[in-house]
Amino acid sequence: MDSENVIEMLHITKEFPGIIANDDITLQLRRGEIHALLGENGAGKSTLMSVLFGLYQPEKGVIKKNGQEVKINDPNDATALGIGMVHQHFKLIEVFTVLDNIILGAETTKAGFLQKKEARAKVEALSQRYGLKVDLDAKVEDITVGMQQRVEILKMLYRDNEILIFDEPTAVLTPQEIDELMATMKEFAKEGKSILFISHKLNEIMAVSDRVTVLRKGRYIGTVDTRDTDKQALSDMMVGRSVQLEVKKAPAQPGEAVLSLRDFCVPSRAHKRNAVDHVSFDVRAGEIVCIAGIDGNGQTELVYGLTGLEKSSGGTVTLCGEDISHASIRHRGRNLSHIPEDRHKHGLVLDFSLEQNLVLQRYQEKRFQTRGFINRGAVREYARQLIGQYDVRSGQGPVTAARSMSGGNQQKAIIARELDREKPLIVAVQPTRGLDVGAIEYIHGQLVAERDRGRAVLLVSLELDEVMNLSDRILVMYEGEIVGEFDPQQTDVQELGLYMAGAKRAEKGGRPA
Amino acid sequence: MKEKWRQLMERDGARTVASSLISIVIGLLVGCIIVIITGLASSSMDGGSVWDGVRLVLGGIVSTGRDAAGRLTFGFNPANVGNMLFRATPLILTGLSVAVAFKTGLFNIGAPGQYLMGTAATLIVALSIPTSSVPSPVVWLLAFLAGILAGALWGAIPGLVKALLNINEVLACIMTNWIAANVVTWIFDGSVWRNLEEYGKTNYIYKTTHNGVETARAGLDALFPGSQVNWGFGIAVGIAVLVYVFMTKTTMGYELVACGSNRHAARYAGINDKRNIVLSMAIAGGLSGAGAALYWLSGNTEFAWLTYQALPATGFNGIPVALLAASNPIGVIFTGCFMSMLNIVGQQLTSLTPYNEYITDVIIATIVYLSAFSLVIKLWLGGRKKRPKAQELAAPAPAAADGGEEKGGEGA
Repeated sequence: MDSENVIEMLHITKEFPGIIANDDITLQLRRGEIHALLGENGAGKSTLMSVLFGLYQPEKGVIKKNGQEVKINDPNDATALGIGMVHQHFKLIEVFTVLDNIILGAETTKAGFLQKKEARAKVEALSQRYGLKVDLDAKVEDITVGMQQRVEILKMLYRDNEILIFDEPTAVLTPQEIDELMATMKEFAKEGKSILFISHKLNEIMAVSDRVTVLRKGRYIGTVDTRDTDKQALSDMMVGRSVQLEVKKAPAQPGEAVLSLRDFCVPSRAHKRNAVDHVSFDVRAGEIVCIAGIDGNGQTELVYGLTGLEKSSGGTVTLCGEDISHASIRHRGRNLSHIPEDRHKHGLVLDFSLEQNLVLQRYQEKRFQTRGFINRGAVREYARQLIGQYDVRSGQGPVTAARSMSGGNQQKAIIARELDREKPLIVAVQPTRGLDVGAIEYIHGQLVAERDRGRAVLLVSLELDEVMNLSDRILVMYEGEIVGEFDPQQTDVQELGLYMAGAKRAEKGGRPA
Repeated sequence: MKEKWRQLMERDGARTVASSLISIVIGLLVGCIIVIITGLASSSMDGGSVWDGVRLVLGGIVSTGRDAAGRLTFGFNPANVGNMLFRATPLILTGLSVAVAFKTGLFNIGAPGQYLMGTAATLIVALSIPTSSVPSPVVWLLAFLAGILAGALWGAIPGLVKALLNINEVLACIMTNWIAANVVTWIFDGSVWRNLEEYGKTNYIYKTTHNGVETARAGLDALFPGSQVNWGFGIAVGIAVLVYVFMTKTTMGYELVACGSNRHAARYAGINDKRNIVLSMAIAGGLSGAGAALYWLSGNTEFAWLTYQALPATGFNGIPVALLAASNPIGVIFTGCFMSMLNIVGQQLTSLTPYNEYITDVIIATIVYLSAFSLVIKLWLGGRKKRPKAQELAAPAPAAADGGEEKGGEGA
């Protein structure tokens, strides 16, 4: 009866020092199906796929292909068995052309010379057959992320892979690109290829998969047919308790403008033009304004310029009635708190303890120092208070090394620190990136609570679900400009997607009236 | 017992100490191996002198010479211990200099230059203010402070260059080192501070005792008779404790270490990273300058002012001292003493056996090499049971044997 299973991973156990990443996990992939692998961060999805791709050797368990037991010692073995993988972070050589990237490692040669003509013909045929549009002679560094992903897919097809693993493939795509990818995946399945689709986005899993296997904390929870389940049931399986998927919030009651940008410009490090180009908008007390857009359209620079990490090249920033266009970072910090995009780069000093991180901006306050000496007792007491209040979990409490904490708890620590500073403006950049459903639920709740306390929240997010769920007003950013302003009640993901991709735009500036 | 060891190795500090100790043991063993090989390869040495060499490498600090029968004797040697403490004094301070910069994420390879500038300032002040009109302790203090200030200013230059122009501090330090070497020669060339009284000593500056300025020995000379030790050692230890307190307990230290551990996060938190880079390099320079001041104010040695061709080894040796101590200011006290002990060992080898003192440079080089591996050794200690394979990581050690340190030209 197992003959229809093209890949079987039976009772896989993989241990790392101090942690069991996969504990007796069984996964059966049928021919021609799209099988979703769902789980929170750290649930063991990536480990399991790495075992299948030959990057790790399991301590226990066997892998079977077409009923035959196989040994996969490295990725070359996996390729030989027809297993291909699109990694979350693409494995492409930026200065090579698309064609060179596709054939790299599987080149046809004659007497040591590359035979690119045949390769080109084969790739062109594949590209046409599946509608995977790529420019074979462009360098990878010049093409869009969406096209880079198509290159990765073509790499698998070029190697005649029958089993395709997609590791969180939609994280970097626009809604339209996601739709195209879904269609392509279904096309593959129809032809008898088998697809493993790793994701924690429930919408996509519901839309495209045939079956779902759920992992939690390294354990196998179950496999269900997609048509017999729904989003709520899946997320409950994934988290192990009932989860609030939609953010519950009352309508916003905006007050005075807390933050005003006028013709704000920030130079780009990558090119000569402005990364943020004459942007004007307000954020009022008691509302959540969300900047939506595809990664790399100036959102990062906007926040850097606003918080002082980068110098602006024009325009004004007014915060609480004060012109802070040229103020120091510390000066700006008097009225704003900033949950940074990159928690390891800006958010935390990883070599510091949790308590040292929790006073990163406040160590000089009277309460934490006497004549230049840090008041350890006060710091520890404050850390204990925040840890309790925001439920930050760590091995040794205040003295835990920040580096040793999980991503979700690192983010919680940052959120605790920033929200507890009680500033009128909160700038939150991708506050839930890489976090699991439980943590996302918590952080969204906190941001809404802050809004209801009368704070102004500027949220930058790449996740459209988050944008739609959380914001009171949406500004779409494209190539450094605000190209549209929307009310989340009166728009949908499709419309936002068109603006995000630059296909549509409001009149220049999209300035609020 | 095993359980206790495992618990101990779960502590980060214990692992750091253990990894440094392992580096030291391997370094000493490599020294022994080289003593054995060169001894056996030499026609002028027999098994006896090889055995003597090995014993001196391991226990030179407690060597008391040879008895009437020509056998090596061992026991407490107050002169050796006293000299070790004296030589440790500048090493502790240059070690602190490098360690402070490391903690701030900077590599202060400019300690030799800062040390030279400190030397020049100290000697000029100590020799120029007449002790007939100003009490000598006051002159001593002024000379000490001048050394610190000169070192601090010299250290601040690479700091400024890095903060304002984003030029790598290693490059700037190397250049300021050689500028210092030439500036010092230029200052003393034809100056009145050259020793013109003793025949053949014009390449040297007067000892500070020439002007009646020297560090107090009060009691230490009775404790370690026949040695050069003075209270400069106590001052160095005191400074190390102060640096430790500064780095770990004060807001300024917090800022410096935050900048060093993650410059981006420090900036994000509103800490002025550029100011901290300059401050850190100035402190580092001041510590090197203090090392120079204490060394020359001892009055034990005279300074050879033709420095334009060579940089003082004391400055460079601050790097292994700091590395071996994992940049811990308290640890620097011990590693500084260890390095100066190797120096004494080298002397014992030279005077008691046909070997020469350079064997100790091989040992230092091996230890430096291994301290770069200290993180690996630490990991190995942490997860010994799970990954016995890591043992082979200690293997590259002998490769360090040919990486001997350049010997600087320091007047002695």
